[in-house]
Amino acid sequence: MKLEIISFGKISEFIHHQQVEISNVMNTDQLKNYLETSFPELADMKYKLAVNQNLIQSNQSLKNEDVVAIMPPFSGG
Amino acid sequence: MDHERYSRQLVLKGFGTIAQNKLINSSILVVGAGGLGCPILQYLTAAGIGTIGIVDDDTISLSNLHRQILFTTEDLDQPKVKVAAERLRLMNPEISIAEHPLRLDTNNIFSIIEHYDIVIDGTDNFDSRYLINDACALLQKPLIFAAVSGFEGQLAIFNVKDKQGIATNYRDIFPIPPAPGEIQNCAENGILGVLPGIIGTMAAAEAIKLIAGVGQPLINTLLHYNLLNQTQYTLNISVGNDYVLPKSKADFILMEDNQSHFIALAYEEIDLTQMLLLREQDLALLIDVREKHEFPILDQDVFLQVPMTEFNAFMQNNIEAESIILLCQHGIRSVAAAELLQEKYGDKKKIYSLKGGIAKWRNHFLKR
Repeated sequence: MKLEIISFGKISEFIHHQQVEISNVMNTDQLKNYLETSFPELADMKYKLAVNQNLIQSNQSLKNEDVVAIMPPFSGG
Repeated sequence: MDHERYSRQLVLKGFGTIAQNKLINSSILVVGAGGLGCPILQYLTAAGIGTIGIVDDDTISLSNLHRQILFTTEDLDQPKVKVAAERLRLMNPEISIAEHPLRLDTNNIFSIIEHYDIVIDGTDNFDSRYLINDACALLQKPLIFAAVSGFEGQLAIFNVKDKQGIATNYRDIFPIPPAPGEIQNCAENGILGVLPGIIGTMAAAEAIKLIAGVGQPLINTLLHYNLLNQTQYTLNISVGNDYVLPKSKADFILMEDNQSHFIALAYEEIDLTQMLLLREQDLALLIDVREKHEFPILDQDVFLQVPMTEFNAFMQNNIEAESIILLCQHGIRSVAAAELLQEKYGDKKKIYSLKGGIAKWRNHFLKR
């Protein structure tokens, strides 16, 4: 499956904007596993996924060419 | 209402007298008179919001001035709320400015926010942000969330129902607060002064849109803004299913207190006097966890220098001292280091973190 990954804040320092071609990833839970294995720093951080600009609250299937965003919390003021 | 003052808004198509009257009859509480708070307050004041409350317990320091544009060099060490209120009253004497020179906590938050139609969160820490979120969610008080990090910002409106009758809050995006030190703040991460100016101005615009009923405010929408490439990304917030909000004020106080106890108590935060005492009595090991480029440079015969970026490697060694005092610029990274040491040594060692850091006690550290 081909996915576009965009990320923000600190996460964008180690996960750059990219197109990925991944096999064996059919849903957002599997994608989280894939991301946290490929980028171990992510596993220690709070973040939320959005698929095609919709926040993911529970496991959801992915389809070819979905755009996945990885959003961390910001606290600065 | 002085029509000349607001004449450019009164002639504005799609705004006019009806919208301006809504602004005059509204009240907004701005929490945090910092990088976000300053432009928020300035534009709300200028626009003619009838009542504006300001909450902040801090004083003005030199490192604030590059982004907190209500303040001047002559205002150093003055309370932010007092100086901000004076300036805003000069800007627009027709409106009412209420001063709340305090830090919101579980005991005072309801009595303050109840008086306002809208709350704007421009604070600089997760403790305050979750406290404000939970209290506003409980009261279903409209909350405008604004936050910055590095060159990026976030903005959203919570507790306002969309056309489907759905309202969301911050916990729908991030149900659990990050651990202390997990996310860097402005002091550690740095911030380009103009960024909170942009995000704060956008937050003021959202408040005006929401009150006046114009345009499409960011209800159930998180806006992400990147200053470096001028891009915006919005995501639709849906209701989460992995958190519980308090159902009553009593429930709220219990829950928030439990949350903060959960974070603390494993190590102790101390002030300068305690640090000096411990150093004499206990032969405590003093560790400065700042990066090597940071000022002031401390006496390396007294303070062992272990930057946070090297802390994990340092943890591989065994530390002999029974007591360890950690310090950094503002006392935030030192808390993260204290937690790491606590994980390794449990109660076998006494771990301390200098609260407020070198910045708070700078007179002591600069005199040498």
